[in-house]
Amino acid sequence: MRRLAGLCLLAVIVVLLPILFPDNYYVTVVGVTALLHAILAVSLNLLMGYAGQISLGHAAFFGIGAYTSAILTTRYGWDPWAAIMAGLALTGLVSFLVSRPILRLKGHYLAMATLGLGIIINIILVQGEQLTGGPDGLGGIPTLSLFGWALDTDLGWYWMMGATLLGVVWLALNIIDSRSGRALRALHGSEVAAEMMGINTTAAKTGVFVLAALIASLAGGLFCHQQSFISPDSFNFFFSIELVTMVVLGGMASTYGAVFGALILTFLPELLVVFEDFEVMIFGAILMLMMIFLPQGLFVGLQNLALRWLNRRRSAAFGAVGE
Amino acid sequence: MFDQILQFVLTGVTVGATYALVALGFAIIYNASDVVNFAQGEFVMMGAMSAIAMSAGDGLPIFLSLPLAVLVTIGVGILLQKFAIAPARGASVVTTIIITIGASIFLRGVALLLWGKSIFAMPHFSGEQPIHIGKATLLPQSLWVMGGAAFLVLGVHWFFNHTTHGKAILACSCNRTAAKLVGINVGMMMLIAYGLSAFLGAMAGILVTPITFTSYDAGVMLGLKGFSAAILGGFGNPMGAVAGGILLGLIESLAAGLISSGYKDAIGFIILLLVLFFRPSGLFGKATSERV
Amino acid sequence: MALLEVEALTKSFGGVTAIADLSFDVPPGQVYSVIGPNGAGKTTLFNMLSGIYHPDDGSIRFMDQGVVGRQPHQVAALGVSRTFQNLQMFFNMSVLDNVMVGCHLRTRTGLFSAALRLPRIKREEKLSRQWAREALAICHLDKFIGQEAGSLPYGVLKRLEIARALAVQPKLLLMDEPAAGLNDTETLEMRKLIRRICESGITVLLVEHNMGLVMQVSDRILVLDYGSRLAEGTPVEIQNDRRVIEAYLGGEVQYAL
Repeated sequence: MRRLAGLCLLAVIVVLLPILFPDNYYVTVVGVTALLHAILAVSLNLLMGYAGQISLGHAAFFGIGAYTSAILTTRYGWDPWAAIMAGLALTGLVSFLVSRPILRLKGHYLAMATLGLGIIINIILVQGEQLTGGPDGLGGIPTLSLFGWALDTDLGWYWMMGATLLGVVWLALNIIDSRSGRALRALHGSEVAAEMMGINTTAAKTGVFVLAALIASLAGGLFCHQQSFISPDSFNFFFSIELVTMVVLGGMASTYGAVFGALILTFLPELLVVFEDFEVMIFGAILMLMMIFLPQGLFVGLQNLALRWLNRRRSAAFGAVGE
Repeated sequence: MFDQILQFVLTGVTVGATYALVALGFAIIYNASDVVNFAQGEFVMMGAMSAIAMSAGDGLPIFLSLPLAVLVTIGVGILLQKFAIAPARGASVVTTIIITIGASIFLRGVALLLWGKSIFAMPHFSGEQPIHIGKATLLPQSLWVMGGAAFLVLGVHWFFNHTTHGKAILACSCNRTAAKLVGINVGMMMLIAYGLSAFLGAMAGILVTPITFTSYDAGVMLGLKGFSAAILGGFGNPMGAVAGGILLGLIESLAAGLISSGYKDAIGFIILLLVLFFRPSGLFGKATSERV
Repeated sequence: MALLEVEALTKSFGGVTAIADLSFDVPPGQVYSVIGPNGAGKTTLFNMLSGIYHPDDGSIRFMDQGVVGRQPHQVAALGVSRTFQNLQMFFNMSVLDNVMVGCHLRTRTGLFSAALRLPRIKREEKLSRQWAREALAICHLDKFIGQEAGSLPYGVLKRLEIARALAVQPKLLLMDEPAAGLNDTETLEMRKLIRRICESGITVLLVEHNMGLVMQVSDRILVLDYGSRLAEGTPVEIQNDRRVIEAYLGGEVQYAL
């Protein structure tokens, strides 16, 4: 159970926040977005942080999940849950087909290929007006119902996203602490050595790539019903970069770090709004400074800073004693 | 039909020349420092925007603001190297990618702050009277773009193959330590490489903006497509990058004209994916392998 | 029957011939060493034996199964494991996790079982941990359990790579310069470890430059020169072989056996 201590803590926090601050905008509205971002960040973290495969196009799978569900429910009258399942199926297919050629690439080339993929899918969303509503977006998406209860309040969606996040974190933690998780970390550490240990690295990479895509697709499916209106702007290159930033901010091979990073990056713009016109500039500056001085991520970086500060105090104390 | 194609070719080569300059800038930085500079497109934007800003209203005359804008952009490039890239030497691929993306966002933020979201125009260098070639038309500015790009490309080629500084930069990219050992000031070479790259970007900006207009986020797509062009030509081969740029411009223009203009932007990225899937070393690049 | 049969193996890179028409057999249960000057093609040979490179010509048969054309992980599944000249440690993992990766082929659960934490996962984790500890014990690395691979000294890492390869329970272990960079004490420990491994039934194919180690630990030696077979035999035979002496050992030298 020690394994899941962190998850229990996270669950407690997720449950307590709306109880302690019931009408707080930051909890119920921004919080829902933060939870959604956290789901996406955890999925990307499995791919990037553990398996070491850069992806600058993760928003694409988020988009496929969202648009599939939105189109099937608005234009064809499908049941929302069935539509989300269909979105998962389509995402699974696309990610599998794309994974074989893409995952042969490494480093910058992989980054650019995923970038290209993400942009192409976004352009399809914009151009396919007949189906997707084009740049003006798609509205009138019905909300979800769970066991007869319609999710039409902020608080209802908070619980839905919160439960999904806890489920996804549980899945991620399970995978990491297993033969498959070790195989992923091994191929990140040294692909050739991993092969020599009998790990089919191609299959492993494909597996985690598709899994991450499926989780993103689920998030997309939930998102479109929560928002009731979606547009291609939510699924573009910039959002993919935001997701990568969340993962990196939190510290790459850390599931909780990804959640942490998602939290920070969701609340940061709320804080930056104060700076109005300076907002974009400051965001860029923060990114650069963060990567230059704390490349291992905020989570780990702050831990290290704290340790170093503690050590300095300790040696200062000893120094005083020694004098 | 032929005239239509000719028109597309002319447009394509003009746009392609811009891509070529951006791609060349990418290649130079990548060769010198193994960094993929996502802020490359922002150099183009800065060059154009600062020129426009300096000569706006009762500002400087255009023949002063153009070179000043280029200098400003070179300065930005050098600052980028010194304060964002150099401190992070040895960082992982993801880290450097995010640093340059952060830089691109930062520069866009500065532009947004200074000049807002408006679209800006720049006067054509030698008038807007179209030149007729058969039934196709060509703006005089297009000739400036193509000619300017050709001149710059030749200049860069001469620089890298016939000057000591140029060869020194190439040496740094092959083996940094060895370069230091023979007395090359690697830090200075890096600054020159980034400055040169920014110079090319700024020139692309002031050459093409009279035709395309500019705004604070004009650099984004340009940067990405320039990158695609560099990969198409063979990452690491500067002249290949140039060829890739022109080729990309042509393909984009022909596809937009003959197939569909909505998906025009997708062309560049589809080509990118195809190249990466089937021939990652590009048209003219060298394949490398890893020693185990 | 030989454990490993290599016949007419050839490999070139561009214009350079790394291995030329090489043939040799490795009998089971022995320490079989491959020596030769730098550039003689030893690591290239290992890379072909493990499926990382594909030869231009020739065949490799391991326990009467063809190796050529298989992916490295498939070769590993046949029962071949290896260590690397340039340490290929998983620095992002702990000591125990590193060795547990070696147990990959001895376990079977996949992504689905892992995600849902089915009972077989717990069973496998327990077994893998136990097997890993056993492998670490053989290499005398018990006291490093609990540490991160990134914090260990070089000599320890070389042994850790061996422990990881042992966890695979291979029938053939390819060791690429295990004594490189080790001092005399560490080299002695390595010699004892290699013999321990051989005595446990694993055939060892060794590439080494440390001639003292090679002569003391090997049952048979293959000498390569410019990618071709120069000589093959027992340490005594090799030491007295004129051609070997001229090409490599440089004068008559006696090594204590």
